[in-house]
Amino acid sequence: MRRLMYEARAQLASPVRNPRMATVIGRLLGLAFLLCFGTGLYSHFLQQPLPWMTFPTRPAGLYQLTQGTHIVAGIACFPLLLAKLYVVFPQLFQYPPVTSFANFLERASIALFVGASLVEITIGLLNTYQWYPFPFPFKQVHFALAFVIIGSLLVHIGVKLPLIAAHWRATPAPAPEERHPVDTASVQVLPDVAEGAAPAADGLPRTRGLTGRVLSYIDRTPELPARTSRRGFLTTVAVSVAAVVGLTAGQTFAPLDAVNLFGPRKKGVGQQGVPVNRTSAQAKVATTALAADWVLTLAVGGEDRSFSRAELVALPQTDVDLPIACVEGWSQMASWRGVRLRDLVDLAGGSPDADLRLISLEQRGGFKQTEMGNEYVRDPLTLVALELNGETLDLEHGYPARMIAPGRPGVLQTKWLSRIEAINA
Amino acid sequence: MSTTSIPAQPSRRMRAARVGLIIAGVLGLALGAYVLVDTVALRRLPGVALWIGAAIVLHDAVISPLVFGLGVLTRRAGHRLAGGIIVTVQAAIVLGSLMTLIVLPAIVAQGLGTKNPSILPLDYALNLGLFWLALAAASVLVSLWFYLRTRRANQRPSRFQS
Repeated sequence: MRRLMYEARAQLASPVRNPRMATVIGRLLGLAFLLCFGTGLYSHFLQQPLPWMTFPTRPAGLYQLTQGTHIVAGIACFPLLLAKLYVVFPQLFQYPPVTSFANFLERASIALFVGASLVEITIGLLNTYQWYPFPFPFKQVHFALAFVIIGSLLVHIGVKLPLIAAHWRATPAPAPEERHPVDTASVQVLPDVAEGAAPAADGLPRTRGLTGRVLSYIDRTPELPARTSRRGFLTTVAVSVAAVVGLTAGQTFAPLDAVNLFGPRKKGVGQQGVPVNRTSAQAKVATTALAADWVLTLAVGGEDRSFSRAELVALPQTDVDLPIACVEGWSQMASWRGVRLRDLVDLAGGSPDADLRLISLEQRGGFKQTEMGNEYVRDPLTLVALELNGETLDLEHGYPARMIAPGRPGVLQTKWLSRIEAINA
Repeated sequence: MSTTSIPAQPSRRMRAARVGLIIAGVLGLALGAYVLVDTVALRRLPGVALWIGAAIVLHDAVISPLVFGLGVLTRRAGHRLAGGIIVTVQAAIVLGSLMTLIVLPAIVAQGLGTKNPSILPLDYALNLGLFWLALAAASVLVSLWFYLRTRRANQRPSRFQS
C-alpha cells in the first residue's frame, strides 16, 4: 500500500505541482470564492432582508453589476478550481493516509471543501440553464453550501498559513520543493520501501506484470522542461478563464454581447427585446391578467383606491431606462413608461415612510408577494410600468402593470400587479 | 538578542491568525450545516451528500486520470517536438474539454426543452464545434510559430539556449 501511494505520488510529480503554484492559483480561486460569497449574500438579503436593512438605489445598475459578477466569478471558478485540484492532486496519496486525529479532521474538511465546491459551481451553472436534475432544492442548498465552503476555506487557509506565507512571493532561486515536487519527506520513503516491503522488486527494472509495464511505459515518457511546464500551465489557466468568462458574460455585460457564444441568455432575445424568466403560463395568470375588469388596488392609506388600466394611463407618465437583472445573471437594458410609484402612493393617501407589499395575480410561486423597502418606494425611477420599449407591456412582461425599480433583482420586479399594500411596521 | 525577539513576534502573530481563521471557519461550517438542516427537508439531505461524494469520485477517479493520461500520451506522441508545441496542444485539448464540460449541460437542457424560448436561445452545439475548430486552428498557428522559432534558434545556437 505504502509503495503504491509512493508510486502514485512519484508518477504524478510535475514542475507545476508545488506549493508556490498552489498559492498562486489558490489566491485567485479564493478571490473568486469571496466575490461569489459577497455578491451572493447581497442578492440573498435583497430578497430576504433583515428588518433593519436598507439598500442603495444608485447606481441603478447595481444589481446588474453584483449579480453579473456573481455568475462571472462562478464560471471562472471552473478552470480555477480544476487547476487548483490539479496542482495539489498528489496530496491525495499521502501515506499513511491519516497521521493523527487533527490530521484526519483536516483531510475530512478538505474532502468536504472540494466536494461542496464542485457541487456548488455545478448546480449554480445548471440553475442558469433553469435545469434541475438534482434531488434537492437549488436555492436552499446553494445558500447553505456557501457557508460550508467559506468555512472550510478559512480552516484550509488557517492550516496552510505558514506554507502560504512562505510562498506568497516567488522564491528567487528554486527552492528544494520546486525541484522535488513530491515533498522531501516522501522521497525518503523510498529506501524504506526497498528494505521493508518487497525485496524481490528491489533494483529490478519494473517490467513485470501489467502495472509494471504501465509504469515503465510512463517512466520512458520524456519530461518537459520545468519552465515550459509552468508557463504552459499558467497560460492554459489564464486562457481558460478568459474563454469561459469572455464567451458567456455577454449575457450581462453589453460590450461582450458580440462574442456571447455560450451564455444561457442573449441580449435582445425575448418578447419586446427582453428575455423572460417566468412566463404567464407558468404563473397561470393569462385569464386574470387579460380580464376586462382588472384593477390595481392600493391599500396604503385609510381607504382602498382602485385604478383601471385606463385610469393609470391617464395619470402623468414618466419614462425611465432601467435594466432588468435576473438572479441567474443575465440582464437587459430597457425603456419603461408608466406612473411613478411614489406619486401613486401619494394619490392614494399613503404615508411617505411606509414600506410596501406588492401582490401579483400569480396563484403560486415564491415571489407572488414581495416586499419593497421605503428607499425604493420613494425613488423617482421606480415605476408602475405600463409600457416597455415603446409598446404596451407584453403579457409575458407583466401586462397589465408591473413594477420596475432601480438596483433590484428581477424576481422582485413584480409582474401582473394586483394589489399594493402598506406594511404596518 | 534581536535574533531571538524578531522571529518570535511573527510566529506568535501567525499562531493567532491561524487559530482565528480555524475558529471562524468552524463557525462557518456549523452555520452552513445549521442552514442546511433548517431549510432543506430531511429526506433531501442524502441527495446532497450523494452529490458531494459523487463530485469527489468523478474528479479524483475519472477527470484526474484522464488528464494524467493526456499528459503522458501527448508528451510521447510529440517527443521529437519542442516543449512549446506539446504544451500548446495540451492547452488546446484542456481548454476544449473544459468548454465542453460547461456547455454540454446547456445542450442537454436545450434538448430536453426549456420553459420559455428566451432561455438557451443560441445554437450551442454549433458554437461548440466552431470553438473546437478555432482552437485547432489557433494551436496550429502557435505551434508553427514555436517550430520556426526553435529552428531559427538551432541554426544560430550562440544567441539563445533554452
